[in-house]
Amino acid sequence: MDLKIVLSIIISMVFINNFVLSKFLGLCPFLGVSRQIKPAISMGLAVIFVMTLSGLLTWLVYRYILVPLDLVYLRTIVFILVIASFVQLVEMVILKKSPVLYRALGIYLPLITTNCAVLGVTVLNINTFFINGKAEPASFALSLLQSFFAGIGFSLALILMSGIRERLDLADVPHSLSGIPIAFIIASLMSLAFMGFNGFRF
Amino acid sequence: MKGLLKEFSKGIFRENPIFVIALGLCPALAVSVSLENALGMGLAATFVLVCSNFIISGIRDIVPSQIRIPCFIVVIASFVTIVELLMAAFSPQLAKQLGIFVPLIVVNCIILGRAESFASKNRILPSILDGLGMGLGFTLALSFVAVIRELFGSGEILGFAVNKAYLPATIMILPPGALLTLGMLIGLTNLIKSRSRK
Amino acid sequence: MDNKLLLSISPHVHKGESISRIIWLVFFSLLPVGVAGIFIFGPRALWLIVACIVTAIATEAIILLLRHKKVTIIDGSAALTGLLLAYNLPSSLPIWMACVGSFFAIAVVKQAFGGLGRNIFNPALAARAFLLIAWSKYMVNFTQPICTWAGFTRPFAYPDSVTCATPLALLKEGKAEGIYQMGINYLDLFLGNRPGCIGEVCIVLLLAGALFLLWRKIISWHIPLSFIFSLGLLTWFWGGSQIGKADVLLSLLSGGVVLGAFFMATDYVTSPLTRKGQLIFGFGCGLLTFIIRKWGGYPEGVSFAILMMNGAVPLLDRFCSPRIYGHLTRGRRHSV
Repeated sequence: MDLKIVLSIIISMVFINNFVLSKFLGLCPFLGVSRQIKPAISMGLAVIFVMTLSGLLTWLVYRYILVPLDLVYLRTIVFILVIASFVQLVEMVILKKSPVLYRALGIYLPLITTNCAVLGVTVLNINTFFINGKAEPASFALSLLQSFFAGIGFSLALILMSGIRERLDLADVPHSLSGIPIAFIIASLMSLAFMGFNGFRF
Repeated sequence: MKGLLKEFSKGIFRENPIFVIALGLCPALAVSVSLENALGMGLAATFVLVCSNFIISGIRDIVPSQIRIPCFIVVIASFVTIVELLMAAFSPQLAKQLGIFVPLIVVNCIILGRAESFASKNRILPSILDGLGMGLGFTLALSFVAVIRELFGSGEILGFAVNKAYLPATIMILPPGALLTLGMLIGLTNLIKSRSRK
Repeated sequence: MDNKLLLSISPHVHKGESISRIIWLVFFSLLPVGVAGIFIFGPRALWLIVACIVTAIATEAIILLLRHKKVTIIDGSAALTGLLLAYNLPSSLPIWMACVGSFFAIAVVKQAFGGLGRNIFNPALAARAFLLIAWSKYMVNFTQPICTWAGFTRPFAYPDSVTCATPLALLKEGKAEGIYQMGINYLDLFLGNRPGCIGEVCIVLLLAGALFLLWRKIISWHIPLSFIFSLGLLTWFWGGSQIGKADVLLSLLSGGVVLGAFFMATDYVTSPLTRKGQLIFGFGCGLLTFIIRKWGGYPEGVSFAILMMNGAVPLLDRFCSPRIYGHLTRGRRHSV
């Protein structure tokens, strides 16, 4: 596995093709949870966890069930069911094992199911690392890597945004812009800044 | 009859999914690069919305409450798959441009939101009209954003150049421009709402 | 409840200076560079500077009027933003584009966030990035200096339409390995005899202005020093083909490093409040600038680096705040 490919995936997922700021996936939770720093950090960790493991599970399902049985067109339905079930399972396990963790994270987990970003990264993995149903070499590790850093990118944008919005609570934003519009304007300026990494090449 | 008409029209202005309720924002930003894409996406989403509202309203008395969300998702996902296949067959160009956002219609907050808050609690005909209205409102809002972005970002509408002398601001068809346009439009909507309330 | 209980952001301790005085001092310390820029690049630079400043002031006045607030354009902040934006533009940019940028800087980056003191991102830099991405062809359209200090040829002529590359662009494309292959020497870099943006080329006058501000204690050395030090160190290490072979002086004197480190990164509103935060901010800017210059698509990374660090400033302020006397340290917190 080429180091250059690994680094390119990392920079791409975190900065250039950031899931929230470039691909616009996961905007609903992004806008909803980014009002304060502490919840944003918890949500970010939850998203990284779910995205990585969903990427893993869906890769396995695609490679060993959908492709051999020629059911590739059922990809969308199967993936979302896998993700929903997985999140439900995780929620039940956390509730049983650690109520403290559940109280910190638990409310965000169902939110993550309908998060476009999770379904998005699983579909992205397939589109990037499978050609005509055949897996490219090292596609498992690369898919895992891509899912993990997509989560990192989402969390980075989320945490930066939460810091900014916390500060703006005390500022004098025009009334019609407060809430979602100013959040979008902040996101547009962050997206502008992240575009500095365009054309990245090792 | 008047009540039914109201179900249809509320989705267009008063409860417009993008500008007022702020749902379905992900595709609104990504797909509004050109008017053609916006119309294609709007049509696809409306189709899924109407069909799934129809089915979900029909089965609303049979489905147990605890598993209703997974059931809704399965219904919606089936229609999305149908749309995916139809698009791949009849307009592969559009499918390629919309890319990942066609399968993502499944998690479009509008569709699941309407299923949960309206279709599962109302009769079939109002649900269909609600779906139609919301879908139309979504398409109109999407097209509005797309017209602005395409006009300023590439100087064209639907592929036809408008003013040869204008130097297009590429940023409008890129992510920062999308976020800026949508933020400003929602802000404008808020301003109009607060003015009309006075 | 009347306004005796007014909640505002830190800092809460005030010196004797007023904000307006500080802003105008910064403005005047930057004027010599502008004059040099006009001298080097021709009268077009003057029109750009004037257009940016006028648009900025007009935009701010109109928006404050629309919001029914006191029109405080006399405090000079809009003028300063316009000036700094113009300094970041090539002299050949169409004037209407500069006006759009100036409008964007004041209306979106500053006023939408609440006005003076409330913005998160540096308005001039955000506008510059906006223009770069909107009209990239025109923003990298640099022309040769038409008038150099060495020869007072054609003092007020318009530049030739032959475009050329800045030293950093030449390095990036591999067209030149060192300074002498670019046809200039270090003195040229200091005086500004090179293609570039209006206000970034004349290093000697920039440093003079910066020293003045440092002397008057308007800016502190923390951010510029950490910025330049980290960029220099990283360039020395990895900038060239081998460790220690890179031309650090060239990379520090070209591009917008001096303008950015002393005048844009040190902006009170968009930089951290604490010393520790400021040092981290400076290092972050240097690191990001180096990464973009070395591996990114753009030859110059200062604007984007500072913008990215601006976004992190609220977090830096939150987590680098000094320990309040009487509170327990993080590790032994019993209750929050």
